[in-house]
Amino acid sequence: MKKLFCLILALVAVISVSAQQLPDVKVENIDGKELSVRELTGKPLIICYWSITCKPCIQELMTILDQIEDWKAEADFEVIAVSVDDARLKATAKAKANVFKDSFICLFDANQALKRAMNVSLTPQSFVVDSKGNIVYSHTGYTPGSEQELIDKVIKIYKKK
Amino acid sequence: MKRLLISVVAILAALTASAQISLGEKGGVISGSIESNNIVYFNDKALSTPAPDTHFGSNDYIKVDYAIDRFSAGIQVETYLPALQGYEIGNYGLGKMHDFKVLIPQVYAQWQDKSYSVTVGNIFDQFGNGLIFRTFEDRQLGFNNGMLGLRATANIGDYVAIKALYGRPRLYTSYKTGWAGGADLSLSLGDMFGFKQGALFVEGSYTNRYEKIGATTAQNLLNMYSARVNFDMAGFTLRGEYVGKGKDFTTSTEGHKGQAVYGEVGYANGGFSFTAMGRMLDRMVTPLTIDGAGTGNTLNYLPALTRQYTYMLANLNPYQVNAEGELGGQADFYYSYRSKSNRYRYWNFHLNYSTYYTLRKSQAKSGNHELLWQDINFDVERQWSKKLKTTFLYSFQEWNPYHGYHHRTYVSNIFVADVQYKFDRKKSLRVEAQYMLSGEYEGDWVAGLVEFNLAPRWSFFVSDMYNHGRTDKNGIYKGTKKNYYSVGGSYTIKRTRIQLSYGRNRAGFICSGGVCRYSPEYNGINIAVTSSF
Repeated sequence: MKKLFCLILALVAVISVSAQQLPDVKVENIDGKELSVRELTGKPLIICYWSITCKPCIQELMTILDQIEDWKAEADFEVIAVSVDDARLKATAKAKANVFKDSFICLFDANQALKRAMNVSLTPQSFVVDSKGNIVYSHTGYTPGSEQELIDKVIKIYKKK
Repeated sequence: MKRLLISVVAILAALTASAQISLGEKGGVISGSIESNNIVYFNDKALSTPAPDTHFGSNDYIKVDYAIDRFSAGIQVETYLPALQGYEIGNYGLGKMHDFKVLIPQVYAQWQDKSYSVTVGNIFDQFGNGLIFRTFEDRQLGFNNGMLGLRATANIGDYVAIKALYGRPRLYTSYKTGWAGGADLSLSLGDMFGFKQGALFVEGSYTNRYEKIGATTAQNLLNMYSARVNFDMAGFTLRGEYVGKGKDFTTSTEGHKGQAVYGEVGYANGGFSFTAMGRMLDRMVTPLTIDGAGTGNTLNYLPALTRQYTYMLANLNPYQVNAEGELGGQADFYYSYRSKSNRYRYWNFHLNYSTYYTLRKSQAKSGNHELLWQDINFDVERQWSKKLKTTFLYSFQEWNPYHGYHHRTYVSNIFVADVQYKFDRKKSLRVEAQYMLSGEYEGDWVAGLVEFNLAPRWSFFVSDMYNHGRTDKNGIYKGTKKNYYSVGGSYTIKRTRIQLSYGRNRAGFICSGGVCRYSPEYNGINIAVTSSF
């Protein structure tokens, strides 16, 4: 068993695939309707995972909200805020999302199906996805200033189009 | 030594997961994640709990997924080398707390078509609010009740969604001998009748659990059902759920019926939002099995519907749900005002109130409905400029240490000031100052935190929480005069994060998603690595 475990570790150490795609998982939008995240591809996307008890997550979203008008002048893209709050805090998360729902697409992953499929262990975690649904960049954690990496990647893929 | 070595290999594997092998457009995609949480424990004379014999604990998870077109499959391996102190999984398996455990409990294969899906293997799902069924994983709690079985879903346009599942739920290190299953139906009446202004759903679920407990089917089979309605229109939200539960012989030999009611109303417009929810729980504890123990031995999800804080002192005495009988609710108000001339300046106001009482008079010695918990709190957040942000929080908490049996409550007043200053695009500093004023239990506490961030890679922190107690009006001192300090830092590169910290941790309840697990006090070095690819 230990050998198997070490073998899997070794495999994980060397195998990593660059063109991971958005999984075909259904989540709820702010109106309570289910949709697949793949339906949202077509433009570059910034996907930010957050929860009501994750202070840096909310800080990241609020900072993006501060800057989104300036960013959108440089590239046409969408921001998707995925709440992983479960039944306990979903209503509170929806109330909080009201602050940024006009600027971001708000999704609610209450039983964390999308979070599991995208292998998100910790929040905050942010992804940049190209217009074909390929994940081209990802970052775990948030420190003030690290949001700049997200827009830099979006501008890069936007200019490649 | 071997255990430490394997943990080091796990960390190195996470750090070196950078070489890339593309499987090509038709070869599918491999993705996955690694999480390794390690603590080296030290004996600390100030603590009453000694370090474990091994002086080491490590909870590790490796997950690998493969996806091609509409097919996906995956495996998760877990190792406990041994389990971190206080994690209930340490009490399972080979029977000793300090056992070395390697588990491959999770595998799945799924076909996801446009209008249907089939999953074989480990299933995570939830019906409604989870009051009658929820399988999920929470690594902070060391909790995973994922069901090994079969799940199928189908959609008929936007009108009907149905799912059914059946299998053996996981209890820590193994799958229980009984079975659980159920079905869920959701009808979108709004879409059926062309109601475009909003959304109206009528939903229902059924769950059963079968386990050989007694001689009769009535003793062995538990049935639960739920009826729900969800309505959304023009910022207005209304949700309701009623749950009926048959006689459950795992919680008492005579078997008790249970029921639950949940209601929620909300309104959001512009920067304002309001949400209120109420819930009644009557004998809703539903274990997976009669032979298990711990927070993981549950088929349903009954979280505490209270505010969950991110500040140390506000979380010292969290509310633990009383699923045998409670009645209460909470309300939230948010108001956000952003300057039209300067987007970098805004105010956020938040007011929250929650309160819970015992449901039955027989739960209390006094024969009355006793207060279990109440919390009145507000916070004001102000972004002054691009550089400076401040937050002030006040919370009044009252809790019953006897779960309502005795007429006795403890009161705490908690004050928090949180200031963040951004020096430039990369450097920022955050400082927290906290004080708890309490004439009861352990008396007063003071806490502070300083965090320095160097974006996007580095973050450092130092914190301390000190119980300086209080002498009451009778001249009796209450307190411990103990420091709970912590110092550490983290380094992040893309999807890999390494955190190293050292400190003394207070005994208490670790809560995640409203579920709490008791964690003993310890002194040690914590090394955590997470990575995904």
